[in-house]
Amino acid sequence: MTRAALAALLLFALSARAQQRPSFTMQGGVVSAALPSSVLQDASVQKQLGSGLTTTFLVVARENKRLSGVRLEVRYDLWDEVWLVKRVDFEGKIDRQRLASREALEKWWRTPVRLLSTAADRVLLQVDVSVLPFSAAEEEDARQWITKSGGVGTAAAGGGGIVDALIGTTISARPITSFRWNVDLSLR
Amino acid sequence: MTRTRSLAILLAAVAAAALLFWVVLHQVSGHWLDVALRPDVRQALERSMEDQKQLRKLDPQRREVYRRRFDETQTLLNRIEVLRMNREAMLRRFELALMVVFSLGALLAAVTLWMRYRREQARERAEYLQRVTSLQETARRHAHEIKGPLTAARLELERFTDLARRGAAEQELNAAHDSVGEELERLARFTREFSSFGGVGSPVLRRESLGQLVEEFCSTFANAWPSLRLDDTGGDAVVCVDRDLFRQVLVNLCTNSARAAGEDGRMTFSIVKNGAQVMLDARDNGSGIPPSLRARVFDPYVTTRRIGEGMGLGLSISRKVMLDHGGDLELLESSAAGTVFRITFGVNAC
Repeated sequence: MTRAALAALLLFALSARAQQRPSFTMQGGVVSAALPSSVLQDASVQKQLGSGLTTTFLVVARENKRLSGVRLEVRYDLWDEVWLVKRVDFEGKIDRQRLASREALEKWWRTPVRLLSTAADRVLLQVDVSVLPFSAAEEEDARQWITKSGGVGTAAAGGGGIVDALIGTTISARPITSFRWNVDLSLR
Repeated sequence: MTRTRSLAILLAAVAAAALLFWVVLHQVSGHWLDVALRPDVRQALERSMEDQKQLRKLDPQRREVYRRRFDETQTLLNRIEVLRMNREAMLRRFELALMVVFSLGALLAAVTLWMRYRREQARERAEYLQRVTSLQETARRHAHEIKGPLTAARLELERFTDLARRGAAEQELNAAHDSVGEELERLARFTREFSSFGGVGSPVLRRESLGQLVEEFCSTFANAWPSLRLDDTGGDAVVCVDRDLFRQVLVNLCTNSARAAGEDGRMTFSIVKNGAQVMLDARDNGSGIPPSLRARVFDPYVTTRRIGEGMGLGLSISRKVMLDHGGDLELLESSAAGTVFRITFGVNAC
């Protein structure tokens, strides 16, 4: 029993070591984070990135009771074979780019993203990254599609419409994986 | 018995609902989704997209066309992929909805069956109560019918003994003796009435002219009931009938009417034909049967007469006779203006 517990602890420590951490910077009252490549290299994320759907990374930072969020979207354009990326920082600024290679994507990924502003010298931060398999627009498109057709009939077809609507409203982007880091940042 | 049957029906309904639920759940609910999510569908769409990409190289002038087709296919593929990722959640929701529907259905069935069971139980109790009340009334009537003549006979016998002891005159003794005899005759009449109820024989049916039977009856019994005039409206039809038993039915009906009609009573017989069906309506001008008795008028011991004046077996015997004829005796209507009984004869009963 004790051995099993020790083995589990060891495995947990090894995995924690293998899991890279984001690097944080504080400048001008703004905390920025460069997310680790390990997130992109995660098996489930890798698989999702090649699906043609927009993989969405929701980065949520909690400082005390404050919440701040950033959204990163990555879609592989199968026609032009380029990466279409979008970054929305905590102030709502949008940055879109078209990246020609996987290397360019990795480089873009490591670019620090503005996470939250703070006046404090020291910040205890909890950062969560949820990886959603598709975007809100794609979710809505699929919902509309199934609600209208259901693959079996029209929405106006009585009970079928109710069933389609019932199922259509079930569609939502559930995280395929998530990451969490706790950091203690200080200007001193 | 009723409870057991209700429970059996309930269990059968639940089992049927569960089976249907299982079939829908496992054979239907995921099927349509799985059709869209089949790997070969996805592969075909991916191949189609790849083909569009190849075509743009071979035919650059139509690049936009291929691009549009590519985008359309990819949108479809994306939708299917979104469905695939939500398959389990969608099926769970669908199954939950089905479960709710089936549960509501089962609940409704259970409530319905329970209410039906309670209703049957209440009806059974009411019928039992009615039977017991009827038996009570019968017992009371029997006791009274026997007690009256019995007491009178006992008193007369005591008087006879006393007279004999005192050496009374023969005339006095004979009067007391006759009196005892009268009371015993009353008891015998009472017993006969029961015997006639128990001993209604099976009819021996013969083809007879109904018109002639009614005419004969009206003529023979013209003076049987001094307050009742018998009218025959004529007409004729051939029926299968046992003369004697049929006559007994008419006598019973007339006896009742004579009591109900008072001084100026009238009983009118009319032959009615409806195709092969022959009926005889017996209409009197009596005061009618009280509404509370109409539904039970053919039940034994149901009567408007006071105790000691009759047992209320006449109509019961009469209906039994007509049912044995393959026909029936019904109460057609009854009001303050009179009562109509309809005698129906069996078609081709002989």
